[in-house]
Amino acid sequence: MMHDPTNIIPFFVIIPLAGAFIISIVGKRLKWLPDVMGILATLGLLSISILSVRFVNLYGTLVYTVGGWKPPIGIAMVMDGLTAFFVVTINLVAFCVALFSINYMERFTSKWKFYALFLLMLGGMNGVVVTGDVFNLFVFLEIAAVASYALVAFGTEKHELEAAFKYAVMSSVGSLFILLAIAILYSYTSTLNMADMANVLIKKGEPSNIMLMVSVFFIMGFGLKSALVPFHAWLPDAHPSAPAPISAMLSGVLIKSLGIYALCRMFYNVIGVSDVTTSVFLFLGALSMIVGGILAIGQWDFKRLLAYSSISQIGYIVLGIALGTPLGILAGLFHLFNHSVFKSLLFLNSGALEYSTGTRDLKQMGGLFKKMPITGSTNMIASMSIAGIPPLSGFWSKLLIIIALVQAGRFGYAVWAVIISVLTLAMYLKVLRYGFFGQLKEKLNKVREVPIFMKLSMIALACICIIGGMLLVYGFGRFFLNPAADVMFEGTKYAAVTMAAVQ
Amino acid sequence: MGSELFKIDGLSGFIALFVGIFTLLTVIYSFGFMRGRKGLWRYYLYIALTMISSIGAVFSNNLILFIVFWGFLGLLLYLLINFGKKERTTYTAKKAFIIIGGTDAFMLLGIALVWLISGSFDMTKIDIALDNRFSIMAYLCLAAGAFAKAGAMPFHTWVPDTSEDAPTPVAAFLPASLDKLLGIYFLVRISMDVFKMNLGMNVFLMALGSFTIVAAVMMALVQHDMKRLLGYHAVSQVGYMVLGIGTGNPIGIAGGLFHMLNNTIYKSCLFLGGGIVEKKTGTTNLEKLGGLAKIMPITFITFLIASLAISGVPPFNGFVSKWMVYQGIIDTAKSGGSLWIIWLVAAMFGSALTLASFMKLTHTIFLGQRSRDLPRLKNEPLGSQSAMLIPAVVLALLCAIFGIFAYRIPLGLFIVPSLGSSISITGVWNPGLATILIVAGILIGVAIYLLGTVSKTRTTEIFVGGETLRDVPEMRISGTEFYDTIQNIGILKFFYKLAERKFFDIYEVGTKITFAFNRMLRYIHNGVLPTYLAWCMLGMAVLFYILLK
Repeated sequence: MMHDPTNIIPFFVIIPLAGAFIISIVGKRLKWLPDVMGILATLGLLSISILSVRFVNLYGTLVYTVGGWKPPIGIAMVMDGLTAFFVVTINLVAFCVALFSINYMERFTSKWKFYALFLLMLGGMNGVVVTGDVFNLFVFLEIAAVASYALVAFGTEKHELEAAFKYAVMSSVGSLFILLAIAILYSYTSTLNMADMANVLIKKGEPSNIMLMVSVFFIMGFGLKSALVPFHAWLPDAHPSAPAPISAMLSGVLIKSLGIYALCRMFYNVIGVSDVTTSVFLFLGALSMIVGGILAIGQWDFKRLLAYSSISQIGYIVLGIALGTPLGILAGLFHLFNHSVFKSLLFLNSGALEYSTGTRDLKQMGGLFKKMPITGSTNMIASMSIAGIPPLSGFWSKLLIIIALVQAGRFGYAVWAVIISVLTLAMYLKVLRYGFFGQLKEKLNKVREVPIFMKLSMIALACICIIGGMLLVYGFGRFFLNPAADVMFEGTKYAAVTMAAVQ
Repeated sequence: MGSELFKIDGLSGFIALFVGIFTLLTVIYSFGFMRGRKGLWRYYLYIALTMISSIGAVFSNNLILFIVFWGFLGLLLYLLINFGKKERTTYTAKKAFIIIGGTDAFMLLGIALVWLISGSFDMTKIDIALDNRFSIMAYLCLAAGAFAKAGAMPFHTWVPDTSEDAPTPVAAFLPASLDKLLGIYFLVRISMDVFKMNLGMNVFLMALGSFTIVAAVMMALVQHDMKRLLGYHAVSQVGYMVLGIGTGNPIGIAGGLFHMLNNTIYKSCLFLGGGIVEKKTGTTNLEKLGGLAKIMPITFITFLIASLAISGVPPFNGFVSKWMVYQGIIDTAKSGGSLWIIWLVAAMFGSALTLASFMKLTHTIFLGQRSRDLPRLKNEPLGSQSAMLIPAVVLALLCAIFGIFAYRIPLGLFIVPSLGSSISITGVWNPGLATILIVAGILIGVAIYLLGTVSKTRTTEIFVGGETLRDVPEMRISGTEFYDTIQNIGILKFFYKLAERKFFDIYEVGTKITFAFNRMLRYIHNGVLPTYLAWCMLGMAVLFYILLK
C-alpha cells in the first residue's frame, strides 16, 4: 500500500481527526491517554510531513483522489511544494505545543477536552493546506475555526468568554464572505476543484467584475482570518485569552494556514494576481506591519504584546509574498516559517511565566532570569530572532525581505520595514527588561523553573531559531523553501501541473 | 559565491591586533574589578565572543558576513551592560541596544541598496560614486551604523549612559575602545573602498565631526558623575576621527585613524583609572571625591598622563593625532572654500575645552581636599589591586610611547601600511626633540622651584577670610561647581535646558513620537465589537472602490 507515495496525503487529516475522536470517547476515563495520544499524533504528523517534503522533491506534485473519484468530480488532495512547506510548519509547531501542554494543561480540569479540540483544530489546519478543492477548503477552515473558538474560551473566565465571542462573531463574518465568494465562483466556473477552476478561469480570459467581487470577498475573508489591518481587531483579544499552548498555535500557525495560505493559494494559483491586487496586498501588509508594531510597544500584558506583534509580523510576511518576485516570495515564506517558530516559542514562554508567577503583567515581573534560566534564555533567543539580530533565523528572513523590497523598487515599503524592525527590537527589549533583567521582586522569590516537558519544548524551538539561518544555506532552502516559492511563482500553471499529476 | 568571504589587509590587521590587546587588558582588569561576583563565566564568555565577533567583522570582506558579526556585537553589548548593578542599568542596556540595533537595521537597507546598485556584496569589488540619491542614501545608512557604534552625534546618547551604568571594564572595553575601533574602521572602509567620496559628503562628515566635538565637550563640562563625564568625552573624541576622515586627504584620514587608536588607549586608561577609584571609594559622584592622589599615586599618575593625552598636550599621543587632523583640515583649503576655518576653530576650541574639563576632573578626584561625604575606603587584596593597575599602567605607557615615537611605532607600523599610500607630514613637529625639550623644561622648572621657593614657604591650613577651611565644609571647592556657571551663559542656558529635557536624544524623541501614535491607535481600539465590524465593512468598501475603479 505504501508503494504509492500519494497514500500518505490523507493521513494528514485522518491522524488528527481519529485522535480527536478516540480522545473524546475514552479520554475521560483513561487519564494518561490524552497526553500520549497528543504526542503520538503530532509526532506521526511531523514525520509524515518531513516524508512528504522528500516525496515532493522526488516525485513532484502528488495528487490523491478521495475514494478513487477523479477530479474535477471527486475531491482531490494535492501535495505540492507549498503544501509540503505548510504541513511541516504546522506540525512542527503542533508537536512542540503538544509537548508543552503535558505539563502546562495540568492546571485545567478537563485535559481530554483540550486535546480533543486541539487535534480537531490541527486536523482542520492540515485539511486546509492539503485539499485541492475550494469547498473542501472552506469545510476544513470552519472545523479549525470552530475548534479555535472553543479553545479561546477554554479558561471560561469572563474575559475569555468575551474574547471568544468577539472572535466567533468576527470570524464568522469572514467565513460568510468566503462562502459567498466560493458560491459565486462555483456558479461562474461550474467547478469546485481548484486546478479545474483555474483552467476555466484562464479560458474565460479577461477578469470580469464578478471575479473582482470574488477577489474583494476573498481578501476580506482570508484577510480577516490572517488578521490583516483593518480586519485584525479580533486577534488582540482572542490570542491572549486562550491557554498559552493554544495561543502559540493560533499566532504561530492558525492565522497562517487559514489566512495566508488560503490567500496565496486562491490568488496566486487559482484566480491569478493583477497589479491592482498586488498593490492592495502590499499596502495591507505594510499597514498591518506598522499598526501592529506601534500598538504592540505600548502593551504591558505580555501575551497582548505578542498578539499585536503577530499582526505586525504577518504584515512582513504579506509584504514579502505580495511582491511576487522569486526572492520576495521566498523571503515571505521563510519569514512565515521563522515567525511560526519564534512566535510559538514566545507564547510558550509567556505560558511558562504565567505557570510560574501567575501573572502576565510585565510590571509585576522582574529579575526572573536567575529563577528561570531556561525560560529566560529561550525567551532571549526568540526575542532576538524576531527582532532580526544576527545570526538568528529572523535576521535572515528580514534581510531577504528588505533586499527583495529594494530589488523590486519598493523603497518606501523597505524603509517602513526597517523602521518597524527597530520598533520590534524595542518592544522585545521591553519584555526582557521588565521580565528577566533587573532586580528580582520580593514576592517572586519562591518562583521555580517550569517542569521538564515545558523546558524541552522551549529548548527545541529555540534550537530551530538558532540554526534557522544555517538551514537557508544547506539544503533547507533548496528542498524546503524553493519548491514552495516556485509553486507560487509559477502562478496559474498550478492547474496544469496538478491535472498532470492525477493518474 | 566565488568571492572571498574574508580578507586581511593592513587596516583590518591592525584593528584586529588592537582588538586582541584590549580584550587581554580588559580580562586582566576584570579579574580585579569583577572579583567575587556570581555568574562570571557568562561575563567572560561574552567578552570572548565580543572579541571573536569583532575580529570576524573586521576581516569580513562580504557585507552580509560583516553585518552578521556586527549585529551580533550589539547583542553582546546589551548582555554585558546588563552586568551593571545600578537601578538604571536595564534602561541603559535597552536604550543602547535599541540605538545600535536600530541603526544596524538601517545598515541592512544600506546593504540592500549597495547590492541593487553594484550587484555585489563583495567590499573589494564595489566602487560606487555618490552621484545619485540611492547611493547617497546607501552611504548614509551604512554610515549611520558606523556613527552609532562609534558614538558620533546624533546617535551618541547611549555612550554617556552606558559609561555611567555599565560595569567599568565594560565601559572601557566597548564604548571606549572596541566600538570606536569598529565604528571608525567601518567608516574608513566604506569611505575609502566601497564608495567614492565627493566634496559634499566630505563637508557633511566634517560638519558632523566638528559639531560632535564641540557639543559633546560642552556637555562633558557640566557633568557631575566621573564615568558619565568620560562618556561625553568618548563622544567628543569621535568628532576628531570623523573630522579627520571627512577631510578626504591621506593625512587627514591617517590622523583620524591614529586618533581612533590613541583615543581607545587613553580613554580606556581613563575608564580603568576611574574604575579603580570607584572600587576604592564606592562612588563615581564627583562631589564626593577629592584628594585621592596621596592614597592612590599610581592611579593618579596614569590618570594624569591619559588626561594630558586626551587634551592634546605634547608629548603624548593625543597631540600628534590631533596635529595630523589639523593638517588634514588645512589641506582641504587647497580645494577652495573657506569652511575649513570653521572646522579648524571647532577642533581647537574643542581641544581647549577638553583640557578645561580634564583639569576639573583630575583636580576633583585626586587633588584638593578630601570630601567629608567620602565613604570609608575599601582595601582590596593586593592581587586584585595589581590586576587592575597593570592594564592602566600599560595603557599610560602606550600613551607616552605612541606620542614620543609617533612616527616610528604607531604611524610607521600600523597606520601608514593600512592606508597603502605614502603620507607626507607637512608640519614641523619632531616629537623626539620636543620631548627632550619638554622634559628639560620641566626639570629646570623643578630645579628653580626647589632652589628658589621651597626654603621660603610655610605650610598652613587652607583658610578663607580667617576661617580654616576644614571647619566650614560648605566652603570646600570641589571643582564641579566651578564649571556650573557655564550653564547660565546666555544662549547656552537655553541649549542646556533642552539637553536636560533630552531634546537632543534621538532615542527619547523616537519614543515620544512612537507613543503619540500609540495613544492615537489605542483610542480607536475601544474593544466594541460593532466598531470592529464596521472597520471590516469599511475596509471592504474601500477594496471594492479600488478594484472596481
